[in-house]
Amino acid sequence: MTTAETGQQRRIMIELDALSKEFPGQEKPAVDGLSLEVPEGEIVILVGPSGCGKTTTMKMINRIIEPTSGRIILDGEDVTKANPDHLRRRIGYVIQQIGLFPHMTIAENIATVPKLLGWDKARISARIDELLETVNMPSSQYRDRYPKELSGGQRQRIGVARAMSGDPDVMLMDEPFGAVDPITRDRLQNEFLRLQSEFRKTIVFVTHDIDEAIKMGDRIAILQEGSRIAQYDTPEQILTAPANDFVADFIGSGASLKRLNLSRVADLELTQWATARVGTDREEALETLRRSDHGALLVLDQNGRPRRWVSAADLSRSDGQPLDRIGMEPEAVVEPRATLSDALNELITASYSVVVVVDQEGVYQGIVDIDQINESIRTMRSNAVARAREGLASDRGAGEVGSVSE
Amino acid sequence: MSVTAPTTLRERPPRGPRRTRSGRSLVGYLTMPVFLVLVGVVLYLYVHAQDLDSIEVRSLNASRLTKAVWESVQLTVVSTVLVIAIAVPLGVLLTRPFTRRIRPYILAVFNIGQAIPTIGIFVLLAVAFLFLGFKAAIVGLVLYTVVPVLLNTMVGLEQVDDSILEAGRGMGISKFGVLRTIELPLSIPIILAGVRTALIINVGTATLATYINAGGTGDIIVAGLSTNRTLVQIVGAVLTAMLALFIDYLAGVAEDLLRPKGL
Repeated sequence: MTTAETGQQRRIMIELDALSKEFPGQEKPAVDGLSLEVPEGEIVILVGPSGCGKTTTMKMINRIIEPTSGRIILDGEDVTKANPDHLRRRIGYVIQQIGLFPHMTIAENIATVPKLLGWDKARISARIDELLETVNMPSSQYRDRYPKELSGGQRQRIGVARAMSGDPDVMLMDEPFGAVDPITRDRLQNEFLRLQSEFRKTIVFVTHDIDEAIKMGDRIAILQEGSRIAQYDTPEQILTAPANDFVADFIGSGASLKRLNLSRVADLELTQWATARVGTDREEALETLRRSDHGALLVLDQNGRPRRWVSAADLSRSDGQPLDRIGMEPEAVVEPRATLSDALNELITASYSVVVVVDQEGVYQGIVDIDQINESIRTMRSNAVARAREGLASDRGAGEVGSVSE
Repeated sequence: MSVTAPTTLRERPPRGPRRTRSGRSLVGYLTMPVFLVLVGVVLYLYVHAQDLDSIEVRSLNASRLTKAVWESVQLTVVSTVLVIAIAVPLGVLLTRPFTRRIRPYILAVFNIGQAIPTIGIFVLLAVAFLFLGFKAAIVGLVLYTVVPVLLNTMVGLEQVDDSILEAGRGMGISKFGVLRTIELPLSIPIILAGVRTALIINVGTATLATYINAGGTGDIIVAGLSTNRTLVQIVGAVLTAMLALFIDYLAGVAEDLLRPKGL
């Protein structure tokens, strides 16, 4: 197990000490003497093939599954024998099926843990409003609805809000975005990362999807059968220097493409594009387009949100129609928190070669084109190669004496 | 994400004020009571138009009929309340993991109870134990209808999605808390369906209670049979049917009202 450099600076929030789980009637233990340290404020991903024991491992942290042997230390306190109900109220828990209580309103669902913790009504109510705001679902509109009235993505958000309701330091998430469609999933992931950058919870996150692991994790534990750790490291290190064949196989091919999950649109310098406001008249718009070297104009509304792509041909055919009625709708729109992988996906599915970047309010920030993404891939790859060669160089240095005599 | 979140739900039409929670309209709720009142009026007018002889007058007068109906209601309500008090806690116990081993045996015993017709139990109680009257009738009715409520309680509790229970336990709700705030509310519709079945069986079977001197609308029917008066038989039968329909209607209303919102 490799410990990343940052590990020493941070306090350890969860420590698993030689944790094992044997299920009756099974020959091999599901979890075999796992030791793992989770630093405070980080997302640690447990990833591995199905049946490797990752979910069992996670469920032992809040003792939904009781360990056969070993210790669980939470924030310096041995909780292996603590009252499980009290322990669980300190740990947020999100599962793939979400498990919202269908007979309770959204507000009642979120209030579950605060009620158990004995908060007063005013505090609980304020907390519900705050959390619904946090997950972008206006409280006035949603708090009295029932789960069946929400879409899958909205339910998942409520699941996360409910898990955060008691303000736990630690959260456990079992394939939390596994049951939603890919587009919603990307959005939920990005939103969750935004929340995490604000709240800095300590999170243990289980997934079988290496791409999700690379995108979401500060640190990834790749697990083999029996929950044995094949490698525990940062996503960058795992992609660059897989510890063994198992890890290399599990990452699969296309490490450079996967590395796109590591950089975000915000890391790039955005290019500016020729834009025009909705009210602009045709001549002025044509003039702007002529002065730029672009094939089309991006039309923004009063608030600066992208509305249309308008080409010179659209303009000449416009017949005096306002700018927001001609051209086509911008499809590939991403937030700065989106990964380059997201951006590339959008780019490939869109009918033109740039991605529009907007901030949280949807206001235009700039664009990213395929060349910029390509350049990022190239830089990352050469960095990775350089790092790999560093080791090579020092090896060679040691072996130099021998090679001279050749 | 913030852009897309609110849109999907805004389009939902608000629920109309005339609709009840179950979606049944006000007219739907009134149909059965109006029908029963009509049948009652027709029956009254029909009997009134006949020339009654002294035997018929002895059976078909207000105090005799009210007493019979009231006895039937008592038999039905008391037996059903007892059935709920026995079957629901038992159903809860039999769905807990620690009773898994003994579950089949207990169910077998109760199934035997249901296999014996209630009239058989009445006769058995009367002949073997000289046990007659209201209490004996209640014992017979309860033995017969525990099973549907018990089975529905078990099915109701077992159909609650495991992920919901896991979420509840995972948030630190105690085992009893999960039972009380999640499992039972979510199984109410199915438990109530069992209770409704029990009510219907009981209101029908209560007519047999007359044979062990426990009264009820069966008294009127039997009186009509033994004195060979068709009119008395008809009145007894129609009253029994009306009572059954009315109790079933009330049970339906109760189901609508007690069903948790959001399901």
